[in-house]
Amino acid sequence: MTSIGLPHFLIVGAALFALGMITVVTRRNAVGILMGVELILNAANVNFIAFNHYVEGPGKVTGQVFSIFVIVLAAAEAAVGLAIVLAIYQTFRTIDVQETDTLRQ
Amino acid sequence: MAEAVLFYLFAAGVLAGGSQVVLRRNPIYGAVSLVGCFFFLAGIYVLLSAHLIAILQVLVYAGAVMVLFVFVIMLLNLKEEELGELRFTFWKVVGLVAVLATAAVIAWRALGPAYPSTGPARDNAILLAAEGFGGVKAVGRTLYLAAVLPFELTSLLLLVAIVAAVVVAKGKI
Amino acid sequence: MNFNPGDLYGVLPALLLAAGALVLLTSEVFLRPVEPDRRYQAWVAAAFAFAGLWASLAQLGDPAQPLFAGAAVSDGFAHIVAAVVCAALFLSCIVAFSYLESLRATRGEFYALALFSASGMCLLAQATDLVVIFISLEVMSLAVYALCAYLRRGKRPAEAAFKYFILGSFASAIFLYGAAFAFGASGSTRLADLAATVRSGSATTLVYASAALLAAGFAFKVAAVPFHMWVPDVYDGAPAPVTGFMAAGVKAAAFATLVRILVSGYGEGGRWRGLIVALAYLTMLVGNLLAVPQRSVKRMLAYSSIAHAGYLLVAVAAMGTSAPRADAAGALLFYLASYGATVIGAFAVVAIIERKLALSGLGDDLSSWAGLSEKHPALAAAMSLFMISLAGVPPTAGFMAKLTVFRSAIEADLVPLAIFGVITSVAGLYYYLRVVVYVYMVPEAKADAVQGGRLLSAGLAIAGCALIVLWMGVLPGSFAALAQSGAAVFGR
Repeated sequence: MTSIGLPHFLIVGAALFALGMITVVTRRNAVGILMGVELILNAANVNFIAFNHYVEGPGKVTGQVFSIFVIVLAAAEAAVGLAIVLAIYQTFRTIDVQETDTLRQ
Repeated sequence: MAEAVLFYLFAAGVLAGGSQVVLRRNPIYGAVSLVGCFFFLAGIYVLLSAHLIAILQVLVYAGAVMVLFVFVIMLLNLKEEELGELRFTFWKVVGLVAVLATAAVIAWRALGPAYPSTGPARDNAILLAAEGFGGVKAVGRTLYLAAVLPFELTSLLLLVAIVAAVVVAKGKI
Repeated sequence: MNFNPGDLYGVLPALLLAAGALVLLTSEVFLRPVEPDRRYQAWVAAAFAFAGLWASLAQLGDPAQPLFAGAAVSDGFAHIVAAVVCAALFLSCIVAFSYLESLRATRGEFYALALFSASGMCLLAQATDLVVIFISLEVMSLAVYALCAYLRRGKRPAEAAFKYFILGSFASAIFLYGAAFAFGASGSTRLADLAATVRSGSATTLVYASAALLAAGFAFKVAAVPFHMWVPDVYDGAPAPVTGFMAAGVKAAAFATLVRILVSGYGEGGRWRGLIVALAYLTMLVGNLLAVPQRSVKRMLAYSSIAHAGYLLVAVAAMGTSAPRADAAGALLFYLASYGATVIGAFAVVAIIERKLALSGLGDDLSSWAGLSEKHPALAAAMSLFMISLAGVPPTAGFMAKLTVFRSAIEADLVPLAIFGVITSVAGLYYYLRVVVYVYMVPEAKADAVQGGRLLSAGLAIAGCALIVLWMGVLPGSFAALAQSGAAVFGR
């Protein structure tokens, strides 16, 4: 337990993934659901960097480059997502996901 | 030894921050605890010799994306979520337990012989730390030389995000 | 590696579409004070879509070559999918022109977003690297989310875009987690390296976990059960031309990428065929069952698109063995093309009827379609043709497509799956022909019930779609040859 290896980092990633999934499924607040998605993206980031450190060929940093793209995508998605949340607020006056569920037949 | 202490410290911080995102009713507390989670994640990235990514995590993720979240929460003046049934149904609980079990099994099985936690052949970064692994130069060379197509596509992605965000948020058309 | 300008020629369709979007965005800035006649925007977008179509078809004869050091590929499969996407965009722009004009909602950003989304779809078809797949997927998706939220009069479009965004970003995140495992298993993000790792048989747990997660992420995009929950609400709430574009283009790009990941990335050692077969059974069953009680035509078409995703999954499952792989790929391409043409036409008719119903104050129920054959015989005939094609009755494109898909499934030893597909198609006859019955045989309840302006260009697009549907059904030879040339990539 005193020598840290790849499995330790993977477990951190798996825990973040699980926390993210729980957040997406259970929160009623739209912004809260987006934060859950951010947690899952960070879980993937941890995995990428851990695999890059332990698995990839010597000197290559492909995993880190991929995690840069993930960070960029998280920013872009947050922008569009929060714009849609604003649109929902303008229309429904609330961002509770249960009250915006009018289309269900 | 120091590495182990630091790892457990940072991991505890990550999990504490992440769990507060789920448990806190007030969205501002959730957002701020997520920022804390990101800071500890940056610490973990430093342990993995990914220094540039750690800095970017703090600057971009915690510093820009979460600020946007906090801004929207403040703009909409969101109150605490109504106390009430937490949308837990039986099938959701079953699904969540399955997800947790699967994640744990996957992580545990990774302890298999393919990835020994000790051994000189596996720790590339320590071998190459002197060569700037994880620094700006190494990541930059890979980004602009080997990953040029994703890099150019990312510029397209950012433009699409800007146009989409403005079109959606601007007002009724 | 040095940047090779020749690689740009390989991604020409996507480049043309992105350039078109940029032209539209910048022209909107410069022409603003001159009281622009915005009608040019739709035609500019359609022109760029046609240019993309021509570019992708012109490159069909070229040999397959990797681009950007293996990050993308320029082969027949990618060109056919890009052609389908560009044709879908072309028809959708023409439909959207009159629809938006009648609502006085024309803005350049609509067509720019549609062009951006289509360029993402074309790149998605060409990508052989997990990073490029991920970014192209997001380019396509973000633009489509905004298109769904474009018209926000009333609650339905905002809610549709919201649901689509939440579930879509959730699925992308799951895909990314699977991509992390694939990267860990193979040490590289290229699909070819993943295939080499799978063949060598090492790191099996990570490989299976990554395959499951990647398939789950894409199963959402292609509307496979049990990831189909978003489809009815999103297809119902979005404007009808956008729904047609989504149903045709997003499906085509997502299926193309799913096939590339599963076949080129995992190959046979990944043992994904059982998973896809199970998904196909579930999807065909649930899609057809849930469409039966639907009274709203738009919602019925949404549930039926789930069913058609099931038939397409049959073709994907048939690619699981090596022998009929090229036939199954050809069947997949043919089905995507025929379904795309049919569904764009169907949603164009829905768009026209929706506008007329809104102007008359009627609701969106089947009874509002009664007596259409007397007031608008051309529309009624076109809608009946599309319904018959979706049901799979000869001599339409849908029949030929289902025939080739089920035949390739039989060749791949998936006979129970093919039989199940035929049975569910018969169930589909009920709700498709019900629309035809209402259009032709049920007399109108109120006189002059459906009034409103003429949507001329939508009619042009409908005529085009009807022509394609009939052409593919009666003379499938040229289309089948195109599909086979695209499928030759997998014919090893």
